[in-house]
Amino acid sequence: MRACLTHLADFRASGKPSPACEPTGVVTFVQAMLLAVLQGVSELFPVSSLGHTVLLPALLRWNVDEGSESFLAFVVVLHLGTALALIVFYRNDWIAIIRAFIASIVRGRFTDDRDERTAWLLVAGTIPVGILGVLLESSVKKLFASPIPVSLFLFANGFIMLLGEWLRRRQHPEKSTKQYRRLDQLTPRDGVFVGFAQSLALLPGISRSGSAIVAGLLRDLHHEDAARYSFLLATPVILAASLLEFPKLFAPDAHVVLIQAVVGGVLAGVTAYASVAFLTRYFRHNDLSPFAWYCIAAGAVSFILFATKAIA
Amino acid sequence: MKPLALILAAVFVIIAILYWTGHFIPAGVHLKHGIVSIILALLCLVWYRFQSAETTR
Repeated sequence: MRACLTHLADFRASGKPSPACEPTGVVTFVQAMLLAVLQGVSELFPVSSLGHTVLLPALLRWNVDEGSESFLAFVVVLHLGTALALIVFYRNDWIAIIRAFIASIVRGRFTDDRDERTAWLLVAGTIPVGILGVLLESSVKKLFASPIPVSLFLFANGFIMLLGEWLRRRQHPEKSTKQYRRLDQLTPRDGVFVGFAQSLALLPGISRSGSAIVAGLLRDLHHEDAARYSFLLATPVILAASLLEFPKLFAPDAHVVLIQAVVGGVLAGVTAYASVAFLTRYFRHNDLSPFAWYCIAAGAVSFILFATKAIA
Repeated sequence: MKPLALILAAVFVIIAILYWTGHFIPAGVHLKHGIVSIILALLCLVWYRFQSAETTR
């Protein structure tokens, strides 16, 4: 920032921006740590990590080029840390699910085994987001990854969660926990429905976990099971996305952020683990409303700030 | 339905190869599109496997 101010006089004199003021892919250590915590928390809390990654640097006026090779390499490591945290947290589930999945293929027959049904539900839910993600992600990001649309989508994200909770209360006004469907009682069609809902998160500002949890609630799951399905579904998606972007770590400019990336990846993993541990307990007895109101407030405030150019 | 599963698997493998070699569309090589095509091909083979096991029984 100080460097930019010193070059401001040059800019005024010449009319051209100084190279020191142009957005750079290099994040400072403090920025890297903030982004790592933000990623770890917002990837799993239903508040849209992508939306926050766009809004926060803009709100804090960070001079960061989010399209640069070094920044993208940094983001890959953060996602990898988050995915590993999810795998570690659900390690026993994943071992059982993968075993049951392989066994059912070898057997060539479906059974009523809970883990096997969960495995196939994960396959059914991952197909829509996999196909739509690969086909649409880059074009959607190009269109909407700027602060004003993100603010509006964040607002919409809150509204979607409130609507989901309202529809659920309307459908089942006096339902006790015992009457909800269990995750393994969903049909593959339900899995595809949740998968399509999760694909809404391609829009920056719409939360992956939020839309998947709402879809699970509309399919009669308890909050706890809907959240568990959402986190299990998120794991292969985040892992695949980070592994596919892995070559960016070896891009010529990527080494610039190596220390920030490594420390940030660990920090993102630790915060993601803490987040998923908190949320699985939280959803035993609570709903999406606080996150919905946060998104509505954050979206509205950001929209006003950016639309009125209070923050350029 | 068994032949359909095999035909679809073969089609997805071909699409993957075309994506990886950059012959599918003018925009060039698409690594991710190719990987998704291969995954879909594998799922078609799994579908074939389930149908085969059914007829064996």
